[in-house]
Amino acid sequence: MVQDKLLKIHNLHKSYGDLEIFKGLSLSMDRGDRLVIIGPSGGGKSTLLRIVMGLEEIVGGDVYLDGKPYIFRDGGKTRIERKLQARVGMVFQHYTLFPHLDILRNLTLAPIKTRGTSRAEAEEKAMALLTRFGLAAKARAYPSQLSGGQKQRVAIARALMLDPDLLLFDEVTSALDPELVAEVEAVMMELAAAGMPMMIVTHDMHFARNIASRVVFAAGGVVVEDGPPEQVLDAPQVARTREFVERVFARKK
Amino acid sequence: MNYDLQFFYVWQNLDKLGQGLLISLELTVLANLIGLSLGFVIALMLRARTVALRAPASALVEVFRCTPVLIQVVWFFYCVPILFNLFVDPMVMGVLALGLNLAAFNAEGYRAAIQSVPREQYDACSALGLSGWTRVRHVILPHALRAALPVLMTNGITIFQQSALVALVAIPDLMYEGKMLATETYRPIETYTVVALIYFAISAPISLIVQRIEARFDRVQA
Repeated sequence: MVQDKLLKIHNLHKSYGDLEIFKGLSLSMDRGDRLVIIGPSGGGKSTLLRIVMGLEEIVGGDVYLDGKPYIFRDGGKTRIERKLQARVGMVFQHYTLFPHLDILRNLTLAPIKTRGTSRAEAEEKAMALLTRFGLAAKARAYPSQLSGGQKQRVAIARALMLDPDLLLFDEVTSALDPELVAEVEAVMMELAAAGMPMMIVTHDMHFARNIASRVVFAAGGVVVEDGPPEQVLDAPQVARTREFVERVFARKK
Repeated sequence: MNYDLQFFYVWQNLDKLGQGLLISLELTVLANLIGLSLGFVIALMLRARTVALRAPASALVEVFRCTPVLIQVVWFFYCVPILFNLFVDPMVMGVLALGLNLAAFNAEGYRAAIQSVPREQYDACSALGLSGWTRVRHVILPHALRAALPVLMTNGITIFQQSALVALVAIPDLMYEGKMLATETYRPIETYTVVALIYFAISAPISLIVQRIEARFDRVQA
């Protein structure tokens, strides 16, 4: 039997009021995939991640995780299987750390409260992650005392505390000062090397090329082109992708 | 001005003012207990999905916010006993009037603070599987209560000053004792000045603390 896809999105429909974001978008990824999603702004890249995280209602379609129904319409409502949701993690553009908790507590809160992990065990794991990301000295600091790059690395560590099978990155370097971008991207590259499946929305085409195993160009509510970075970024097969990529790279020069 | 200031009589009767102050503080503390707890419940009702919870909470808040405290005190003292055939200790009525007034104002403070918790904090909780009471207890409330603290403290100290109104219904608070003393000694200027200074001496430090807290929040949020 062929192993199930890690993630399969089938015929996804989503609207905000009259605004149709997805018109039957389909997409799938394997365990070894690091998907970078590119596309025009307002095209729903972040919305796609938010849907996969289970933060959005959908109008129609199905999302499967590991071959199991994860998000679907049922009786006129969006059903999200919480057990499967727990296997997906997300890092947001604006860090969204808990400002009233120190870094260590930011990491340990969810495992202690949702997984029944003991405090000692959670703290040990948190310290290991913080050490790995060069943040061990900040364990007792509060988010407000950290730089944007440090906050974002903490946010990644916090998501990793729950051992996700899939990690979503929503423009995680967009809010950062340019000199802080590299430290966050380095952490993501390290995770990529360790085999973590990721879905990434970014405007940084250079980084996209470095980290992606596949690049997905989404526009007009569907996937327009989907392939290895050498194809989609350097030799797009579809006119619409070519236009977009040329425009983006022209801007860089 | 050829008025000869004589503080002697006030000093001599400082113990009476002290007793009055104790009553004022008692009113303030009890009103704050009601205001902080009931205000929170009302805030939750204001955010409830069902109109049956929202409407009465909203009505209560508006009534207390849109009528003078003086009327509220007088109404509780003279009208409630007749309307509801309820004759209780004046202190109870005083605490009730001030407490409900404070609850109405605090409810608004709590509500605004809960609303000030960024949408993204909810998203972060969902992404981490924190939901229901765990989310409220460990993320939303700590967040909101910090935001509400300056407002709650300001409201609390305001009710200390407004508690002076209960002197009108013969509760022997600081204002009432001051009034008595002024009349007995024919020294209203000295007496009321001292009484004002006592109110000020209690309120000013707390007001300063609130300013400090607000400054710290501004720093943390930057």
